[in-house]
Amino acid sequence: MPNRSECEAVVRQLWPYLDGAVSESQRERIVAHLEGCVNCASHFDFAQSFLDAVAAARPHLPANEVLRVRVMSALMAEGFEAQ
Amino acid sequence: MTADSEFAAVALPLLPAIARVAHALTVDDADADDLVQETFLRAYKHWRTFERGSDCKSWLSAICRNAFFEQRRRESRSTAVEDQELESLAAARLHNSARASGVDNMFSRLDLGPAIARAIEALEPRYRDVVVLVDVEDFSYEQVAEALGIPIGTVRSRLYRARRQLQEALLAFAVDAGYATASAPIRPE
Repeated sequence: MPNRSECEAVVRQLWPYLDGAVSESQRERIVAHLEGCVNCASHFDFAQSFLDAVAAARPHLPANEVLRVRVMSALMAEGFEAQ
Repeated sequence: MTADSEFAAVALPLLPAIARVAHALTVDDADADDLVQETFLRAYKHWRTFERGSDCKSWLSAICRNAFFEQRRRESRSTAVEDQELESLAAARLHNSARASGVDNMFSRLDLGPAIARAIEALEPRYRDVVVLVDVEDFSYEQVAEALGIPIGTVRSRLYRARRQLQEALLAFAVDAGYATASAPIRPE
């Protein structure tokens, strides 16, 4: 039976884990917990399905918006300062 | 004169003056006391670097200021990490709300593309830019930080906040559109 504080510690790392931004030891701890905790695993599945849906929404985004963000990023990398 | 007796004679008498500096910086008695203690500990540890004959009050004041700003930077970093982790907890609570509303499979079951696009467009630009770059354009945190000239911690904070706002908007949309299989409050806890 997973304990509550371990559940909270694992859920606190939900986004970094799904983005692959946790250390290897953190990742192993989270994976081990999710294998035994259906409730936490369902939170991670829900969040992952959200991320998949956002990525899949790309064709629905106005082309200009995607392009604007890309161009602004490129400009700022060259030292451009927005307002 | 030993180093300790010199420290006692030169530095310690300045305690009231440094306490006033600390109080002006922290504006809190307890924090000011801690800061004074930290200042004198550091001063004692580095006493041999004090230039004899120079102004000890200025030297101690500089140590006090540095200790204060270091502490503040540490606190602001730990607050930022706490905020980011709270956003992850919020995502789990939002899942609970979706479950209670009968729409917990909405992302896998429904085509929310147009609704997601509208929700992204409705975000404030600083949140929208980060979520589009990471979640749509597949940039890493580091690439976004470099591209936008902001710290990685800021990328994380904006990204997680953006995701929460998107999830809240989409949950409300799914329930309003009648996709729910049960009626329940949709407001995230």
